[in-house]
Amino acid sequence: MAHHFNAEPTRREALYGLGAGLGSVAFSSLLQAAGAKTIHHPAKAKRCIFLMMEGGPSHIDTFDPKPELTKRHLQKFSRKGEMESAMSSGERYFVKSPFEFEKAGQSGADISSEWVHLKKQVDDICFYRGAQVDSVNHPTACYQLNTGNRFGGDPGVGAWVTYGLGTENENLPGFVVLPRTAYPQGGAGNWANGFLPADFQGTPLRPEGSPILDLNPPAGISRQRQRQNLDLLAKLNQGHLTSHPDRNELSARMASYELSYRMQMEVPEILDLKGEKESTLEAYGVGKKDTDAFGRKCLLARRLVEKGVRFVQAYAGNWDSHDYIQRAHGSLIRSVDKPIAALLQDLKSRGMLDDTLVVWCGEFGRTPDNGMRGGVSYGRDHNAKAMSMWFAGGGTKTGHTIGATDDIGAEAVDCVHHIRDVHCTILHLLGLDDNKLTYYHAGRHKQLSQFGGEVIKQLIG
Amino acid sequence: MSNGKKGGAISSPIDKLAQVSPFQSTKKKEKIHFSLLRIPATASILKSLLSFFTSSIVLFTASSAAEPTSGEKLFALKVKPLFTSRCLSCHGEEGKKIKGGFDMRTLEAVLKGGDEFEEQVLFPGDPSKSHLYLVTTRTVEDYEMPPKEADKLSREESWVIRDWIKAGAPWPDDQRVEEIQKNYAEGDRVATSKALNEDWQNRRYEFEKLWAYRSLKKSSIPEGTHPIDHFINRSLSGKNLPPAPAAHPRELARRLSFGLTGLPPSPKDLAQFEIDFKKSASEAVTQFSQRLMASPHYGEHFARHWLDVSRYADSAGFANDYYRPHAWRYRDYVVRSFNQDKPYPDFVREQLAGDEMDEPTSASLIATGFLRMGPWEQTTMSVFKETRQFWLDDVTDSVGQTFLAHAMQCAKCHDHKFDPIPTRDYYRMMAVFSTTQFAEHDVTFLPSENRTHFKSSQKLLSAKINSYKKQQTQIRQKIKSKRKTETGKAKVGDNGLDPGDEASKARLSKNMERHAIEGDRTKPFAHGVYTGKTIHRNNLKGRIQPAANPWHGPEQIEKDAILTGGNVYAIGDPVTPGALSAAESLGGMKPVKFPGNKGKRRLALANWIVDEKNPLTARVIVNRVWSWHFGQGLAGNPNNFGGTGAIPTHPELLDFLAHWFIKNAWSIKKLNQLITSSETYQRSSRHPDPTLFKKTDPGQKLYAIFIPRRLTAEELRDAMLVASGELNPEIGGLPARPDINLEVARQPLQIMGGTASVYEPDPLPKQRNRRSLYAEKLRGLRDPFFETFNQPGSTNSCESREISTVAPQALTLINAQEMQDRSLAFAHRLIQESNSDPQTITRAFNLALGRPPSPDELSTCLTAWKNAAEEESKLQPKPSTFPSLIKRTIRAEKTGQLYTFEEHLPVFKTYQPDLQRSDTDARTRALSHLCLVIFNLNEFSYLD
Repeated sequence: MAHHFNAEPTRREALYGLGAGLGSVAFSSLLQAAGAKTIHHPAKAKRCIFLMMEGGPSHIDTFDPKPELTKRHLQKFSRKGEMESAMSSGERYFVKSPFEFEKAGQSGADISSEWVHLKKQVDDICFYRGAQVDSVNHPTACYQLNTGNRFGGDPGVGAWVTYGLGTENENLPGFVVLPRTAYPQGGAGNWANGFLPADFQGTPLRPEGSPILDLNPPAGISRQRQRQNLDLLAKLNQGHLTSHPDRNELSARMASYELSYRMQMEVPEILDLKGEKESTLEAYGVGKKDTDAFGRKCLLARRLVEKGVRFVQAYAGNWDSHDYIQRAHGSLIRSVDKPIAALLQDLKSRGMLDDTLVVWCGEFGRTPDNGMRGGVSYGRDHNAKAMSMWFAGGGTKTGHTIGATDDIGAEAVDCVHHIRDVHCTILHLLGLDDNKLTYYHAGRHKQLSQFGGEVIKQLIG
Repeated sequence: MSNGKKGGAISSPIDKLAQVSPFQSTKKKEKIHFSLLRIPATASILKSLLSFFTSSIVLFTASSAAEPTSGEKLFALKVKPLFTSRCLSCHGEEGKKIKGGFDMRTLEAVLKGGDEFEEQVLFPGDPSKSHLYLVTTRTVEDYEMPPKEADKLSREESWVIRDWIKAGAPWPDDQRVEEIQKNYAEGDRVATSKALNEDWQNRRYEFEKLWAYRSLKKSSIPEGTHPIDHFINRSLSGKNLPPAPAAHPRELARRLSFGLTGLPPSPKDLAQFEIDFKKSASEAVTQFSQRLMASPHYGEHFARHWLDVSRYADSAGFANDYYRPHAWRYRDYVVRSFNQDKPYPDFVREQLAGDEMDEPTSASLIATGFLRMGPWEQTTMSVFKETRQFWLDDVTDSVGQTFLAHAMQCAKCHDHKFDPIPTRDYYRMMAVFSTTQFAEHDVTFLPSENRTHFKSSQKLLSAKINSYKKQQTQIRQKIKSKRKTETGKAKVGDNGLDPGDEASKARLSKNMERHAIEGDRTKPFAHGVYTGKTIHRNNLKGRIQPAANPWHGPEQIEKDAILTGGNVYAIGDPVTPGALSAAESLGGMKPVKFPGNKGKRRLALANWIVDEKNPLTARVIVNRVWSWHFGQGLAGNPNNFGGTGAIPTHPELLDFLAHWFIKNAWSIKKLNQLITSSETYQRSSRHPDPTLFKKTDPGQKLYAIFIPRRLTAEELRDAMLVASGELNPEIGGLPARPDINLEVARQPLQIMGGTASVYEPDPLPKQRNRRSLYAEKLRGLRDPFFETFNQPGSTNSCESREISTVAPQALTLINAQEMQDRSLAFAHRLIQESNSDPQTITRAFNLALGRPPSPDELSTCLTAWKNAAEEESKLQPKPSTFPSLIKRTIRAEKTGQLYTFEEHLPVFKTYQPDLQRSDTDARTRALSHLCLVIFNLNEFSYLD
């Protein structure tokens, strides 16, 4: 952990009366040591990039082909059960996938032909078809996927991981979110710190405008003016500091202004892709209309983890294709395919894929049926009982497909696990034990899995 | 006892495990996750264990059996209960798979071992070889039992197993165990409603952890002493720590003013207080406290505290984040209740059962909004049974936390792990709410309710809806002309429409619907509840009519039963409404039968809560008030008085205050008066002997000083508005919409069917610059200023504010537009009100910090101002513009591609910005930099 900014004490540091300099000041936590903490067991992965396909991508149209649906296409479908919501009622029909599938790579993984780039990388991927969630509602399912608690209010996976592992770069938040311009249903609660200290909150780097809110002075205020204001602040704080000598939080708060000042330069540097090779930009699809948005996020994710950010979550969507799934999923796949393939390739060539866990998933899968008949207008509705997700790097069992759904893709039937077990597995790969990573709140030791879960061993290489 | 590792890897960890000496200190323990260190140490267990071993003669009355050996006693009293509570759910629960093939129900089975260790589990007489003991020491990775850190055995508990094995691992039969328990058990048994499990029913509790359920202990205090000081000073002298002297009157005046109203004192008040203080300190404090509590701002500030607990928000959260148009009436009800000093029992009764009272009033109907404050929605995509259950769980837990300091959720799936709360109590309490139904009651506006901004708000809302209507007409026409004919019942093919238009159509109608619901806020309804049958609903939006005949209709009254494992579809034993049985049995309350069927269940609960014999209620509220003044409760977890909450630091004081509070008509104002009149409250925040202080009271629990505190998010903003002279002190009314970070305001938020309208601030400064309490609180769109400064979200009840120091706070305070606005207005005010430069600076300090500048500070500031003015004189700031039509780009669901649409922002047709830099001269702008710096000072944010 080098503090390159901390080469020699400056006049300012002298002003703050901080004998030790500013080395102990971190982006998120000023009062606690933010450095690496103890892991529970040897970790397979040191960091995680979580590609969040918000809206619920269809497993049936991406990584889990269902030839049976082609046979039953447009036959009537009926659904029973007490969990039925108004959405899934009415006259319904089986609908086939509009996409062709192929067996790709040495491993012969199933992948729809739309993934022209990713299909070259399936041998680095562990596909998983056994996960289930409890909710068919976007915000509750998103909350559950992101925080373990479908009703919200709990810390995000990234918050837990940062809480457990600390950060490797004290100038940056440990948990960074790369949201879409539009926030998901349920809003920033999807990456909140919940009951954990605010230090572990996900910091969104916004795709438009100021990447971090109020990163720069408002219009009409120059950097020099800001510097002078900060110097005056340090000077005027001095008297109060002298009369309150035993209060560490006061000098920590003063130091936070200096950190903020430095961030104004460092954050844009990270976001600035100019230093990247032309070929890299091309590989990620940066600058191309379809792929620019997610390409930037994937490239940024790599840059951030390189700088020591522990957990990056990048959003893509919206995959909620109730109608026109061919068109909608088709263009969504195009928008993420190239960037994701480039990310995996890039991490691999830098030797980072081995200890970087990459996760791809949405909040649920989709149904084999739809309320529409014929043509190209059909889509699929929400399905909590079957979904596809995949993992790359980070010690996962790559080149394998684990678990299975039934022959129509309605429900997982093999290696079936609740999402809480996926959470336990992610933590496990990162060297954390869900049962030990607890925080005492409201009378309970809370944990990501809520009440405990198990590691899905089949996913581990 | 397998934790999963099989095959070749086994030998080494087992060997390693076997090498661990049972008497070795558990070095690894220290590495265990830090969060656990927050739990009170188990010293008391150790103490009781020691007494167990040292007392050779215990009450032995049984005559039938031979005297048990110490090993047998250990088993019956310690080991068996440990097995039951920590092991058997995996290793021997009826009807459940036995994990790792290891059954712990009998000695034979234990000796046989499981898949992992086989016969090496238990060697009677030799703990150092017995894995049954070794795994509890948690010294070898992946071989820790119980696996959950939260369930781990303390060192003392682990020793119990060690010593029992050493004693030969005797395993008396159930009858003998029962006998031994009867005759020798220590700790208290608690009578409760029937537990799920008999062992739980019989378990014992450490005496001190049951403090909250026992009746209030009355203690007398010497004549002429202040009760608070009596208890506090007694514990201080017990620790040989002298208290700090009295605070400087200026500090004290700020403390009182922020503490009672959340606002800074005016320079005039300060000066007067200093004069009065010189005459009579106690008289000055009394009078100032009373004056502050007589101000309506007192109720606002205390309401802020209460709304943290009750999770106030103006919207419902989740997929639609629908507006809760009448939530503000509940907020104002709380403000009024504190201002009226409503006796606490009435406050409780109204919020829990205002509609069930014999003569419901407008206020009491509004008050029941409390029961609906949590996030909740029912859409076409949700299963009603589940969302209904979510509310039942939520209200049971929040009522438990709010009034009884019990997080009820811990007992939802199993009998409470630590507290005498059986699962049955959870469902008994939930049964109180199973006939509670949502409704918007017709409640005429009270004269005390502020309706000032009704008209202007409706006008703007209509403008917004009309702008959408126009767009809707255009789109409809376009769609009509472009749509290809589709035949048959289902869509057959491409409908020929622009997906952007289709998306817009859905977005427009959804937003119109949302704004229509919002428009209800000026209509005389209250967000409340009634009692009746549950009506199954698929999709709920907007106002819900109370049922004309609440008991009529095809539905059944909900059946009250335990839901096994908390699963809404797993109906278990039936229950009848009730409350916490332990509070009844230990607190000596007269048992009350709650009505069931069509009875007034909530009223019964409310009456049970405010019963003077209820051991929890008065302690809970008194402790909250204490924590609002001192930043920490006498019992450290105001929402949790159970065994896992912090035990009171001054139990006698807490009980004294609770008793005093009941005797003084449950008056919170009187309680405040008692607190502020104490020396304890009036102490300096600095100890004359910091070394001794730090050494003696590192946790700051002894009150030798007044613990300094940071201003909350709301206090920080309000204090700036007071200094700048911009605060509109109006009380109550519609939620205000202050300026918030513009990028957040325009941040698209996805809702069902599209993207929510952008946030539009109120058009006039006086509407925007109101107290932060009134700032609209939307679950889906939080004001980043408040969020950054640790205002809690409104999902979970907040017992006390978190305090963090993070870099985004500094970014906000130096860069936010709102900070520039406050600083400029402050500068403008100062220049208007002063005659000379030094006078200006002095006034700035007095207004913001409550003191004049030192000569050094004065000259530093004058120089800085002069330099800045030179710089500013070269600048010509441009006025900001506020477009009333913006373009937004989002991704269309049906194509996965971007589309752009226009949104009208009617507010910006009449929007008057706060004072702008372009409106002011160089001197004012220059002074505004200085003002910004003052607002950023530690001294501004911290209260001594």
